Amino acid sequence: MKEKIFVGCKGVSIGYHERSSASVVVKNNLTLNAFGGEMVCLLGGNGIGKSTLLKTIAGFQLPLSGELLIHEKLVTDFSPDELAKEMSFVSTDVIRVANLTVREMVGLGRFPYTNWFGQLDAEDHRIVEEAIHQVGLSGYENRLINRISDGERQRAMVARALAQDTGIMVLDEPTAFLDISNKYEIVRILHKLAWEHGKCIIFSTHDLNTALSMADRIWLMLDDRVIDGIPEEVASGGYFESLFSNNPNLFFDQEKCDFRVRKKKMGNILLTASANDLMWASKALERLGFEIATVPGAFESFSIAVEQNDKGWSVSHAGKSVQVDSLGELCREVKKISLQF
Amino acid sequence: MRVSAEFILLFLVMILFFVLDLLSGSVHITFSESIKAIFQPSSVDPQILSIIYQFRIPKAITAVMAGAALSVAGLQMQTVFRNPIAGPDILGISSGASLGVALFVLSAGWIFKSALLFSAMGSWGIVIAAWLGAGCMMLLVVLIASRLRDLMTVLILGILISGAILSVVSVLQYFSSESSLKSFIVWTMGSLGSTTHDQLAVLVPSVLAGLVLSFLSAKFLDAFLLGESYAKSMGMNLRMAYLLVFASTSLLAGSITAFCGPIGFVGIIVPHLARKFFRSSLHVRLIPATMMLGAVIMLTGDLLSQLPGSELTLPINSVTALLGVPMVVWIIFRSKKIGAL
Repeated sequence: MKEKIFVGCKGVSIGYHERSSASVVVKNNLTLNAFGGEMVCLLGGNGIGKSTLLKTIAGFQLPLSGELLIHEKLVTDFSPDELAKEMSFVSTDVIRVANLTVREMVGLGRFPYTNWFGQLDAEDHRIVEEAIHQVGLSGYENRLINRISDGERQRAMVARALAQDTGIMVLDEPTAFLDISNKYEIVRILHKLAWEHGKCIIFSTHDLNTALSMADRIWLMLDDRVIDGIPEEVASGGYFESLFSNNPNLFFDQEKCDFRVRKKKMGNILLTASANDLMWASKALERLGFEIATVPGAFESFSIAVEQNDKGWSVSHAGKSVQVDSLGELCREVKKISLQF
Repeated sequence: MRVSAEFILLFLVMILFFVLDLLSGSVHITFSESIKAIFQPSSVDPQILSIIYQFRIPKAITAVMAGAALSVAGLQMQTVFRNPIAGPDILGISSGASLGVALFVLSAGWIFKSALLFSAMGSWGIVIAAWLGAGCMMLLVVLIASRLRDLMTVLILGILISGAILSVVSVLQYFSSESSLKSFIVWTMGSLGSTTHDQLAVLVPSVLAGLVLSFLSAKFLDAFLLGESYAKSMGMNLRMAYLLVFASTSLLAGSITAFCGPIGFVGIIVPHLARKFFRSSLHVRLIPATMMLGAVIMLTGDLLSQLPGSELTLPINSVTALLGVPMVVWIIFRSKKIGAL
């Protein structure tokens, strides 16, 4: 059985119109698909056009050329009202309204379904309560949205989109400015909505770790194209390497699935330590830019030898030996020696 | 809609102030006399009857209309521009209306060689000129706000343009004939107490029409609270929303400026008081609350302007400014920075 494509781009060019009728193309000829029940992470550097792509998908601006399909129907064939029932949007704008409760704000999500005066009926109220429950804000219904934390407010914004009851949700950097716990909580909620409710959720993020560990699909925006695939396909294809290819100080660590800063090679250290302390000592010395070996035969020559003894650590270099008591002092000593290189 | 206790209370307060306003003035009229004047006109001294019917009732009705109209116009502008110190006076809508009236009065004097200002046709002419002036200014402010995101800049430009318009009005006066200048000066001295029955017949339906339009825009205004992009993503017809708010504020601010002259600060202050007392930001509640509260504030202003105990009367514009400026300062201090509604 073939899965249903919720959002499809066929040869789409995105960009915007300048005042003088000339159009500025941000990305050309994109072919992307997002399916129902999938969480899609849009990755890419600053200013590469992630927001432009999301705004195009959400219907704020039209593609300059190509076909943008929502539920296999051209986006231009939807009226604004119809589109609002298929797709909801969460922007990066911070809502700064006093005297608006969480329940009232989530209730605004019912906009496309309510009458001229925006009154909610029993069914609308049920959907609003359900949406608040889904994002774990039960008990916060009467709290004012300018008096809750950033993480709670972002969850409330997701609940508003949820109350809009759409198959597709598009979110522009929903995890920006949040701490790690709130970041994972938002992504966990979105993941659950995709998996358990069959929604198609597309969001942009700079958090590679979350994307690679949770996303069902990755859209990776590079300078000249956008890669569409499952995280492992994108990682193994070596595409992440080209994401920041203009920055020689960064490299992609495939094993750890993250970018690391390339450090100046300082030399190598022969490390002898007890099994308990070996891991943390070698982490600390690696951080300083050294390669670590635990057996004398591993390297042809050693810059420094570090040995654990009953009084702490002894650091030997160029025939001299210094005794230190803690890992911190050890680092300071090794750093001091490395400055002489 | 549920009518809560606060609304009933506010309505009663409004009635109370309306009656108090009928009782106050340079001629002492007792409570029983004024009640009799309304229910048993034949048993009252014709002079008192005439004071009540020709002067006090029109003045109190004008105060209610002016308070409700300016406050609701202010509320709509604060929401649409998401700016807590927006209002018809500060963004130059009232000045736009003044320019419209000046052009009408001065050119009418020039064309017809007579002041048709005080005929019924003159009333309609003035009010239509004021609507057009207010509408043009509103359009200009919307255009500015769509180009410039910064709230402060929009405010400053509004104040600048407003200053420029008032200078144009002064220049126009300089070049106009003596008779039309005289009618214009009479108009600029307009106050709550100068409206005739003929003018009320124009003012009341205009303000009511503006208020009806504002009720019709309540749902759109709620969506504007979250900003234009959210409003659009929920399928709001932006053009229709702007048109409604546009027509409503032009009718409200224009009509009042046409017959009472520029009255400042009411439009800024009252929406804040309404939000504070009614603890809501949803417009189905805020609009009626602002309307009634505005009427109460304006009646209070009128009572104060008559300097109870003396025969002097202050211009209403000075009273609202003296009451309003400290409250605007309070709003600015409370919100720390311009941004939160």
